[in-house]
Amino acid sequence: MIERVTILGRRGCELLEALGRAGVFLFLSAVGIPSREGWYLWLRQMHFVGVLSLAIVLVSGLFIGMVLALQGYTLLVDFGAEQALGQMVALSLLRELAPVVAALLFAGRAGSALTAEIGLMKATEQLTSMEMIGVDPLRRVVAPRLWAGFVALPLLTIGFSVVGVYGGYLVGVEWLGVFEGSYWGNMQASVDFIGDVGNGMVKSLVFALVVTWIAVFQGYDLIPTSEGISRATTRTVVYSSLAVLGLDFVLTAVMFGGLN
Amino acid sequence: MKRSKMMELGVGLFMLAGVLGLVFLGLRVSGLTFTAPADTFRLEANFANIGSLKPRARVTMAGVTVGRVAAIELDTDWYDARVVLELDSELEGRLSRDTTAAILTAGLLGEQYIGLSVGGDPETLADGDTIRDTQSAVVLEELIQQFVSNMVSD
Amino acid sequence: MSDTPFVVVEGLHFSRGDKEIFRGVDLQIPHGKITAIMGPSGTGKTTLLKLIGGQLTPDAGRVLIDGEDVHRQSRKALFAMRRRMGMLFQSGALFSDLDVFENVAFPLRVHTDLPASMIRDLVLMKLEAVGLRGARELMPAELSGGMARRVALARAIALDPELILYDEPFVGQDPISMGVLVQLTKRLNEALGLTSVVVSHDIKETLTIADYVYVISDGRVMAQGTPQGLDVDQDPRVSQFVHGEPDGPVPFHYPAVDFFTDILSTGGRR
Repeated sequence: MIERVTILGRRGCELLEALGRAGVFLFLSAVGIPSREGWYLWLRQMHFVGVLSLAIVLVSGLFIGMVLALQGYTLLVDFGAEQALGQMVALSLLRELAPVVAALLFAGRAGSALTAEIGLMKATEQLTSMEMIGVDPLRRVVAPRLWAGFVALPLLTIGFSVVGVYGGYLVGVEWLGVFEGSYWGNMQASVDFIGDVGNGMVKSLVFALVVTWIAVFQGYDLIPTSEGISRATTRTVVYSSLAVLGLDFVLTAVMFGGLN
Repeated sequence: MKRSKMMELGVGLFMLAGVLGLVFLGLRVSGLTFTAPADTFRLEANFANIGSLKPRARVTMAGVTVGRVAAIELDTDWYDARVVLELDSELEGRLSRDTTAAILTAGLLGEQYIGLSVGGDPETLADGDTIRDTQSAVVLEELIQQFVSNMVSD
Repeated sequence: MSDTPFVVVEGLHFSRGDKEIFRGVDLQIPHGKITAIMGPSGTGKTTLLKLIGGQLTPDAGRVLIDGEDVHRQSRKALFAMRRRMGMLFQSGALFSDLDVFENVAFPLRVHTDLPASMIRDLVLMKLEAVGLRGARELMPAELSGGMARRVALARAIALDPELILYDEPFVGQDPISMGVLVQLTKRLNEALGLTSVVVSHDIKETLTIADYVYVISDGRVMAQGTPQGLDVDQDPRVSQFVHGEPDGPVPFHYPAVDFFTDILSTGGRR
């Protein structure tokens, strides 16, 4: 019995230690003024985590918007309220689906790649040799990736929303024959720019920080073997998915749940 | 360091697309308008019940959108709702003094909006004037109640 | 060896987890010479280099480079100190996203404000020294192991360091590239007046180029001396290591109960 409590205590200490390390890591990486070289490194990571994730995010957005419209229509048409389709599609996308699904896709597409890349650099002693050359790998390797992820995910989320709304339009208006004016009109009347688009963006920024942080930290902190890299990659996807879904509930409760 | 023009272009387009997407979400999805204040004028209208009318709802004339609801507040003199309308300045000095404002519903459960219809008074409404003749929102419960009480009295 | 040693290691203690790796190591590495640190695998030779480079902190003892304590420096001063050191890693550790030219140019770009033309000249000079000027446009993934190590060597000497640390430079090479690397190590040391520390367990090659040898075992310096001196050392442990005998004081068998009793025992599944 006492042994179990001891194990619990040890796990707790380990968890706290890891959190502390991750916090110091985030601080050391993110704080500091980037050099001109740093801008270019950031640009390159933007290409890697942003532009290359665009295709999967946009295609998913289109399909999710189309499915929303299809499901929503069959539900709403029973109440004769299919004019509210635009509002339903836009609100569910802006408030929930775009930030969450884009973050999950981002964790799978870019997060795991970041972990594997940094892990491989660690395993092949590139990080150590960088340190020996007198360059801080936190600033040179981690910081550009962290900032690129932080900027790229909100942009991807915007893309997801836009394409999703358009997908809803395609199915709802073009195919199912909802009146175009009421699709957009109802949407415009019910969507509030600050309350819905703005809060969705805040969510997305939080998710971007958390997912990228988890990804680069897992890469930097892993055991530098092939097994360590594959485990860390899995951990990145699992932890960031859980963190995104958990935080989404908390943020939704604060933003829309009247808990404020 | 070798710089790739294609990559820079890609990132540039990506960020530009993000900003344009945000503009789309602002204008098309949440219906923000970036018209200068000089292009609109304000009218007020008091309603006994506004139903579920919200700020930024449309104001229409003959189905054409001519403005938006700028603000809704409780008028503590009369205990009814004072709605401030922002209308295209083209209409300034063209709406007759006996113009009526009605809160209408798009479809059975759709959004609520304000419909204006002109009267015949030669005098016109200017900026800041109040529309006297208003028609409140139709509240479904009241309608049903009326219907039921009529049935009973018959 | 009349002048003071360039690197001094005093009473170094280091442990990782419960395992004690060093129990009081003392080394003196003289200016402008090749000093070899040898020992069986798993004795923490690479760890020793990391301690000298300031990447790990010892539990006790200190490391002085040119009279300055490596572990008493601020992060900034430590990074400045590392500019005077080059380190060659076992795997080469080239940056996989940069080509050969950029890898060698990397330290120059980070630490100097030289114009592009001068960087180009310097990089080509260093690449010429390791014989890979023609390979400047290749990516690290396209290089063989030996070539990668030579590029890494060019990168390590890019800033003209005073001290260069070699981590197992000869391991896993075919005879030709091994010969090339041995020659390069020797030639660079003579031409540039470098102080070199070579960590290795390739006895034959290391002994041909080293001026002085330390043999580390069980967390201590077991023997030291010139290559010739070690060759005729009477200590059985030294002799076993230097001549590569399979059995001796370092046993062939992992500690176990007596073979005969083990094989006759019936208890347990193992």
